[in-house]
Amino acid sequence: MSASVLVPTVVSPIVVSLYVPAIFTGLIVGLIGLMAIAYQKDDLNALILTDIVGMGMLILVAAVGTDLAEALILPGLVVELAEILAISEILMSREMRKKGETAELIPLPTSMDMEVMTTAPTFLAIILIVYGAFLSGFTGGAVAGGGILFYIISRRMRGVPSDTWEGIAGVSGIAWCLWLVGFLVFFVFPQYWLLALFLAAFGVFIKVAFKAGLIGVIGREEFNKK
Amino acid sequence: MDIIILGQQLMGYIPLGDIVLYLAPVNLFMFASALAFTTLIAISRTETQVEAGVGTLKDQEVKVDKDEFKIRRFLAIVCGLATAGAMITGDLFNFTLFVCLIGIVNIGIVAAVKQIDVLDAAFQYGLVAMIAILPLFGGAAMILASTGTISLLEIAHIPTTFMMIFGSLLLFLGVAGETGVAPFYATKAEMFRTPGSPFLLIIHLSSLLVIIRVIEILLIINKPF
Repeated sequence: MSASVLVPTVVSPIVVSLYVPAIFTGLIVGLIGLMAIAYQKDDLNALILTDIVGMGMLILVAAVGTDLAEALILPGLVVELAEILAISEILMSREMRKKGETAELIPLPTSMDMEVMTTAPTFLAIILIVYGAFLSGFTGGAVAGGGILFYIISRRMRGVPSDTWEGIAGVSGIAWCLWLVGFLVFFVFPQYWLLALFLAAFGVFIKVAFKAGLIGVIGREEFNKK
Repeated sequence: MDIIILGQQLMGYIPLGDIVLYLAPVNLFMFASALAFTTLIAISRTETQVEAGVGTLKDQEVKVDKDEFKIRRFLAIVCGLATAGAMITGDLFNFTLFVCLIGIVNIGIVAAVKQIDVLDAAFQYGLVAMIAILPLFGGAAMILASTGTISLLEIAHIPTTFMMIFGSLLLFLGVAGETGVAPFYATKAEMFRTPGSPFLLIIHLSSLLVIIRVIEILLIINKPF
């Protein structure tokens, strides 16, 4: 195809020849999803089936196979997830209006009195947070967030009021700004790349950690309503 | 700086690394009108609908309560900013992302209403918008694959090939689905029936402006003249 003009010589011809089959695969996956939605009468099933169409989109973007395509898959995936969340939220609120009942945001099982929740929360949480700080970046944020979440859940089980977590939400927002500032520095002043790298790495670390911790805050709010 | 796009002289561009915003008269005008409308929305209050009871005097006021008002105003402002961004971006993929953001926020604006009909319409619109992601991103990826760039300023110099035409057709399908124009309009019209008028108007305005902009982008990519 015409794309072959732009392909560098180091790329093997097999990889180049995979492009057109990949495009057809993506389109066929999308068509299969559309046919399934057309046959479907149940709204929830139709919503789940649209995810297949989203997979077709990911295949089409991934078929390009360059670094740029790799960078474009992530926003594509995020957009797809955001849309499916928004639509499922609509579906839920419609069903709740129809039936006149409300549901919890995160339905937690009420009895989570496990042994480990009362004996070792602080120790495990500290280990996870320190290890996450060493990792830094997105992975470290997830690890440290797991630690915070674990700590909150276990504290709640012991009945200790945990009012301090509201401030964490604010810190998470500020850390996110650090992350954005880091990216802006990358674009505007590329000579300060080291500063930008550290801003971005630790901003996203703190943000992801506290974002995972926020799940605990939401869970606590639901807990207090009862 | 002697690039001419669609017969209009570029007034300049803002290079932010890879992301290049370009300023042409039409784009600037649409950008300014989107921003102006967003400002109007940000300072306005909602209307109050009156549901007339037929044959009786039991007219009913439908008001928007304060929490719903706040979240709707926020989402409407986000929608306006995304529209403004889609007007001046010089990057094909950023354009598709802005269009997707508009689609998501449109669903969000009507998400908290109490009428089941409107929620039903919003759900159907959401399904179409979700499905439209495939041609939208797929078309942009195809144009990227056949030109090697997503910068519109670069694409303007590359001669059109078959894959670019196919990709831009897919792109147009995607934008049509995402903004809910002609074939998908029925569900979107239902969404306007909720109370809270000025915020709902941004749903309309964003799709109009985005359609104009996508036509400009398709002309840049395909170069029919």
